[in-house]
Amino acid sequence: MRKIIGLSVATALTCTMALAKEINVGLILPMSGAIAAYGQNAEVGVKLAHKLQPKLNNGDKINLILIDNKGDKVETANAATRLISSDKVVALLGPMISTNTAQVISIAEKKHVPVIAPAATNDKLTMRKMYANRVCFTDSFQGSVVANYALKQNKKKAVVIVDQATVYSLGLSKAFKNTYTKGGGKILKKIRITSGDKDYKAIISQIKKLNPDIIFLPLYHPEASMIARQAKELGLKTTMISGDGVANQTFIDLGGDAVNGYLYTDAFDYTNPPTKKSAEFIKAYQKQTGSNALNAFSALGADTYNLLVNAMNKCEDPTNSKCINKEIKNTKKFEAVTGIISIDKEGNAIKSAVIKEIVNGKPVYKATVNP
Amino acid sequence: MDLLTFMQQMVNGFSLGSMYALIAIGYTMVYGVLRLINFAHGDIMMVGAFLAYAFISIFNLPFAFAVLLSVVISALVGILTDKIAYKPLREAPRISLLITAIGISFFLENAFTVFAGGIPRPFPVPEYMQNIFNVSGIIFSTSSIMVPIVTLVLLLAILFVLYKTKYGMAIRALSFDIKTVNLMGIDANKIISIVFALGSALAAVGGIFWVINYPSVEPMMGVLVGLKAFAAAVVGGIGSVTGAVLGGFIIGFTEVVVVAFFPDLAGYKDAFAFVFLIFVLLFKPTGIMGKDLEKSRF
Repeated sequence: MRKIIGLSVATALTCTMALAKEINVGLILPMSGAIAAYGQNAEVGVKLAHKLQPKLNNGDKINLILIDNKGDKVETANAATRLISSDKVVALLGPMISTNTAQVISIAEKKHVPVIAPAATNDKLTMRKMYANRVCFTDSFQGSVVANYALKQNKKKAVVIVDQATVYSLGLSKAFKNTYTKGGGKILKKIRITSGDKDYKAIISQIKKLNPDIIFLPLYHPEASMIARQAKELGLKTTMISGDGVANQTFIDLGGDAVNGYLYTDAFDYTNPPTKKSAEFIKAYQKQTGSNALNAFSALGADTYNLLVNAMNKCEDPTNSKCINKEIKNTKKFEAVTGIISIDKEGNAIKSAVIKEIVNGKPVYKATVNP
Repeated sequence: MDLLTFMQQMVNGFSLGSMYALIAIGYTMVYGVLRLINFAHGDIMMVGAFLAYAFISIFNLPFAFAVLLSVVISALVGILTDKIAYKPLREAPRISLLITAIGISFFLENAFTVFAGGIPRPFPVPEYMQNIFNVSGIIFSTSSIMVPIVTLVLLLAILFVLYKTKYGMAIRALSFDIKTVNLMGIDANKIISIVFALGSALAAVGGIFWVINYPSVEPMMGVLVGLKAFAAAVVGGIGSVTGAVLGGFIIGFTEVVVVAFFPDLAGYKDAFAFVFLIFVLLFKPTGIMGKDLEKSRF
């Protein structure tokens, strides 16, 4: 008798477990280290999206496993390997910058696990890769957006300041150059710098002599903010424009008064929610944090999760990584927090970009540019 | 190049060079006494800047008082690193000291990363330091005038201490032979502490000027500046205080001149400081002001 009860209890347990599975999803983000600001913002978005939609349509529970990669190459590779082999994750979300994303992709590619990157914009990341996807735009799109915007404002003479030490900067400046020169713009000079440097006064004195209509700075915020400050000091008043590398509060903090009037592209603007979904998400964000200032990286983080859940719901077996990957790539006109997203065969997101201007220390929405 | 741009670039170079000079003095003094290249020196500069940042932003102290306090504390940090890390190794081979210095450097960088995080913070520059003057087209900021003046005043002060005071005589004696000086009834460890205090205080002044000009404070800010100041000290003649100042100006001007005359090489301007270093080491290993290393100091 006891045996029978024991057996039936055991069967009942396995049945319920079979009915509602727990599915592991890996999340790799820089939560500490130099680029911790990016990772911590994205984590907020992913966690909130998970809180709003913790289960699949069939009742399976999604279990997020977060590993801090510290923005470091070795840590990133370890995290990806561990999540795939010991935690048996069905998909990987993150990390933030292109360099680290390339590492995750190369490991996931071999194990056939799909990756969705929130913010890695380098063009080459998804080329000839089966399992690499992203919800952000690419550098070539971003570069052409900036170039077209400058041309439309009738700014036909540009100086470009390139950081020769980052792939981001090189890719973005190339894309800018292509569109800008095709559209009738002229690049007066391309000035090379190396990231980590602080003194740009000699360069700015040079630019002053060239007298361009616009300066394009495809840089990250530490360098761009110093250039803006020293330009103000030396009386250079030319309009400056950047990509999403400066789209964060630290840029405004470091730049102070000098960044007023600075233009940049961004993925998202919380004051202009592009979809119903994003308005809802901003509301949920406000309920949780008390502020509606949803950061673009948080919004992109939420999109990686939502896109993944959407793909998993379409699969008969939501633990089948191959099916998930196929469905991610089949995503068309998906209503995401940052706007309407379609994913192409290469895994790149086709979506619009936002141009913002810093006015009195606050980013102000200027325009939306469609692909 | 027109005269105006040239003059502007000279102003830029002068202010940059002064900051390297301030930090180079510390390298040169410690080397003169201990024959040690104190690679933690650039990080002392970061400590000075961070302390000033903390006193102003967190404790709301007035600017001048905060600067004074952080310079004093940085001097104490300098003495402390000597007592903890270098003093036990006085009799050890020079290479052990050098490795310890690199260890201290990593320790300071990582300790500040743990406490302050890696995100750069804006340094609160007081209004009166941000004034801009326009002298017939050449643009000065208050700090770009103040840095060279303060550097020269501090150089004179250091030279005064070295040549006109009892302690200075002891420091110079120490640079010849530590053991003999001990026999003469001079407390060598006390004198070494004074050297570390003076060098670290100057590094802190350099660090604070650095963040006034480039208002971003982060734990790794001392690495590249420290290396360039080291190059400056060697170019000027390591062991010579005047040489360190001269070397600082040379490195600062080189950077600016490279950008001004060869704009296409602007991305490689950091490399030029080190190319200079290699050439000096090849052709005049004792540097510009350096005399025969074993005979004279300072």
